[in-house]
Amino acid sequence: MKRRSRRALIYLALVAAQVFALFPFWWMITTSLKHQVEIFGGLEFLPQAPTLDNFAALFDRYNFGPFLANSLLVVAFSVAGSLLLGTPAAYALTKLPTESWLQRQALIVVLLVRMLPAILLVIPFYLVLANYGLLNTRLGLILVYTGLNTGFVIWLMQSFLAEIPRDIEEAALVDGDSRLSALRRIVLPLAAPGLAATAIFSVINIYNDFLIALTMTSTPDAQTIPVGVSTLIGKIQIQWGPMAAAGVVGALPIIVFALIVQRHFVRGLTLGAVK
Amino acid sequence: MVTAGAARPRPRRRRAAFIAGPHVLLVPAAIALAAVSVYPLAYGIVASLRQYRYGLDMGFAGADNYLNVLQDATFLTALGTTAKYVVLCVLIETLLGLGLALLVNRQLVGTGLWRIGIILPMTVAPVVVGVMWRLIYASDIGIADPVLGLLGVHGVHVLGGESSAFLGVVLLDVWEWTPLMFLILLAGLQTIPQEPLEAAVMDGASALRVFFDHVLPMLRPVLFVAIVLRTIDALGTFDQVYVLTRGGPGVSTQLFSIYAYNTAFLFTQEGRAMAMVVLLLAAVLVLAGIAIRLVRLGPGTR
Amino acid sequence: MAHKEEDVKSESILSRQLSRRSVLKAGLAGAAGLSVAPFLDACSTFSSSSSSGSTNKIVIGTFQDNAMVPFRDVFVKRFQSETGIKVQYNETNYDAWYQNSKNDGLHKTGAYDIYVMDDNWVPEFAAGKVIQSLDKLGFKVNPDILANGLNQGYWPPKTGAKMKAFANAQPELYAIVIIDDVEILYYNKQYFDGAPKTWDDIAQAAQSKSKPPSLYGWSARGVKGNPIVQTYLPLLNSYGGNFVNQDWSPGFAGPEGVAALERLFSFIPYMPSGSAEFDTDQEVQVLLQGQCMALTEYTGLTHQVDDPAASKVSGQINMAATPSQEKSGPAIGTFICGIASGAPNPQGAKKFLEWFTSSPVQIDFAKTNGSAAVTGSALTDKTISSQYRWLPAIADAVNNSVAKPHTPDEPKFEDILGTRLNEALVQALSKKSGYRSIASQKLTQAANEITAYLKQQGGYF
Repeated sequence: MKRRSRRALIYLALVAAQVFALFPFWWMITTSLKHQVEIFGGLEFLPQAPTLDNFAALFDRYNFGPFLANSLLVVAFSVAGSLLLGTPAAYALTKLPTESWLQRQALIVVLLVRMLPAILLVIPFYLVLANYGLLNTRLGLILVYTGLNTGFVIWLMQSFLAEIPRDIEEAALVDGDSRLSALRRIVLPLAAPGLAATAIFSVINIYNDFLIALTMTSTPDAQTIPVGVSTLIGKIQIQWGPMAAAGVVGALPIIVFALIVQRHFVRGLTLGAVK
Repeated sequence: MVTAGAARPRPRRRRAAFIAGPHVLLVPAAIALAAVSVYPLAYGIVASLRQYRYGLDMGFAGADNYLNVLQDATFLTALGTTAKYVVLCVLIETLLGLGLALLVNRQLVGTGLWRIGIILPMTVAPVVVGVMWRLIYASDIGIADPVLGLLGVHGVHVLGGESSAFLGVVLLDVWEWTPLMFLILLAGLQTIPQEPLEAAVMDGASALRVFFDHVLPMLRPVLFVAIVLRTIDALGTFDQVYVLTRGGPGVSTQLFSIYAYNTAFLFTQEGRAMAMVVLLLAAVLVLAGIAIRLVRLGPGTR
Repeated sequence: MAHKEEDVKSESILSRQLSRRSVLKAGLAGAAGLSVAPFLDACSTFSSSSSSGSTNKIVIGTFQDNAMVPFRDVFVKRFQSETGIKVQYNETNYDAWYQNSKNDGLHKTGAYDIYVMDDNWVPEFAAGKVIQSLDKLGFKVNPDILANGLNQGYWPPKTGAKMKAFANAQPELYAIVIIDDVEILYYNKQYFDGAPKTWDDIAQAAQSKSKPPSLYGWSARGVKGNPIVQTYLPLLNSYGGNFVNQDWSPGFAGPEGVAALERLFSFIPYMPSGSAEFDTDQEVQVLLQGQCMALTEYTGLTHQVDDPAASKVSGQINMAATPSQEKSGPAIGTFICGIASGAPNPQGAKKFLEWFTSSPVQIDFAKTNGSAAVTGSALTDKTISSQYRWLPAIADAVNNSVAKPHTPDEPKFEDILGTRLNEALVQALSKKSGYRSIASQKLTQAANEITAYLKQQGGYF
């Protein structure tokens, strides 16, 4: 009996946590489907006359077409670039003698870069990019994101790669493969799930970045979705409906991706420190 | 790389490639990382010693920026606010996350689903989180004020009062990042072997005793990792506050990052802003040093 | 990008020279170059898509504002069809645009030809060479433009306090006013017999007729920074205070400034309780919903008051000069255009601005929704103002208007004053008493902070 009621309490607490976690999503989604009049008309948990006007307005009036295109392009190139740079390095780290000086230092440096809050870097980034005429270009964003994300890729990939038994690869080397071809032929296929997870985490990280994109870009030629979302909160006007719709557009793809890598979340968040 | 060694006799080439191989692969990544960390930071440190005005570089300024920053009451207030914010957020998130993890760490109906619901908040861009909560807190269209009214608190507008706005921002952070604590701690709990706990229970130990004597000590490394990671991230909080309050009302939610950003990009005092950043960098390095010591990672050592 | 490739190259040369056993090191550098280069190459296709440099096109950047709608929807298009010059129009929110335009101009990115600015940006943009001198471009000024509006575009300023470094420089025109935006009083005529002249008139009406929350007597925007400063300035000016005095000492912490803020607080019982977090949209919403008797705002609101889609009280809102104590002192906040110093097409930009500020076009501009034109002939035209009742009030307000301090540090001024005003309002809203001491304490604090900042900055005293 006592056991039963304890279990009921546990479920009650869990339900409460779920409601707390999910309600803001619900509120944003319903607001995005309401007309302006209804938004101001008092509390409604369901839109009375659902409309997609707010979403249409995003693309018609608020440049969300270009924002989305920029986001996709910047994310695609930055993720590809950082995987290209980071995966071989991660592989190299797993092949160094364990606990060697170089391995330890390298990982520490990479970790440091990863831990620097963006606010520490944006001001110098801004000055540097300005020097090279790369402000307000997608290339500028791609370079910055690629570099920053490389550290993340190294950490996460080396945690995945370290799980691959050494013997398999040694066998390939004995068969006359070079390191690189062993990496390509044997290791990468085995690490594919880890690589996919790393790629998806990278997508989430880069797509969600706001501060760097905010400071480095100034027009819809290069601005990304999160910056686009913030442009709807003006000093002069706050467009609640489109703002909610923009939030939905900003959140949806990421939620889908996040559900895919759900299993690896802990590893992604702690850079492999905890699995 | 391979062709570069072609002139060498075969056995040596083989050995060189074997030793050099891993190192070579590190180089491109090292260059990329240096380009986005060492280079801009060095550039920034130089900038912190120069005076900028109207966006123009007016020349060497010595330690002026640092002196000005240390005398700037608003900056010191922002540091205090940031410290308060970080401590409060991390504390609440750790406790809540631990509590939730203990709840979920058992046989439950639909374990996976509970997890998904709980972790959704942290997947979304912080800007979007700011938007969500602005829709909730807004005094004209939001839901927070009516809810407070139901609880008997009337005439309070969350973003209209200094302490309520601060707590509102903290609540947002708790909403967004408790899932992180929860996930990490749950993973930690799941690695704890069950036998000693069951043995302790058999011996008649209370649940609290078991928790403090057995669970917590084994959880400690993971707990530290989680706390340090979260602390460093919380120190850099910017996006949500930028969207939600811009640091207001007054300076009640003006975190370090917001003030540094305004100084650099609104008041065009890049040098002074860099001086602030360098001061914070020192703090982050200390914390990161602690983190690295605690994490002690590397292949095979986890 | 370029520097990275250079690093790579120099490293490879160095390593060849330094090391006899160069195989390894050259290999390192080579691999680095090989792995980075194709990637950079692939990316370069996406760089600098923005700077086209075509003489047949101009790019205008601006913040979103209701007052800009006719400009965007009617006149930009008309210029395109009349001249064949293509106009690209980008808008974003105010804060973002302030930073973006400044960054674009400082680094001569060349993404824009024309910046639509708030007039208090002019000193900073001119001193920092974000925008170029219109005089030097040979810009022909239409003499019909009202002087108070036109003067906002000069650097150093023609009147008011000047920074030491610029005290002797000849004022040059850096920006040309396109919309004479200025604060006016909006009142619901249902609750007033004729236009209220003084703050006392409004206070009396509010006291006797308002019934919060169904009917407020007054509405204000109280968000920290620029918004609450805009609320405070017409009060401060009307009480005879100054934002800054001729010697750069703040002029709001004295008895006039304190009395002005106390006056704002005296409306608290008749104001929405959320005012401290109100910006324009929320502030005017109550007026347009028929739940507010009066407020001061810029002219953009005139485009909404008679629009049944936005207003429940269309036709019922009248406009007048902002209320007086000693005098009426609306803040002027014109929309003003500068030509980017990195503009790809400065001649096209100049052509556009000369065209738009010419008298005939301005008359048409005033005829389009009664926009706040910048020329005397447009604002005082009897037939136009019979249709758009606010135009005479605007002309009058421009002539009485008080400019903000002309200094590149003005944004910092507004941030400091706006932060302390907001704190004061928050306190006053929660305590509902002790207004004088709250006002005096916070204004003194703001004044001290501004003075300390100016001393640190140098060049003022």
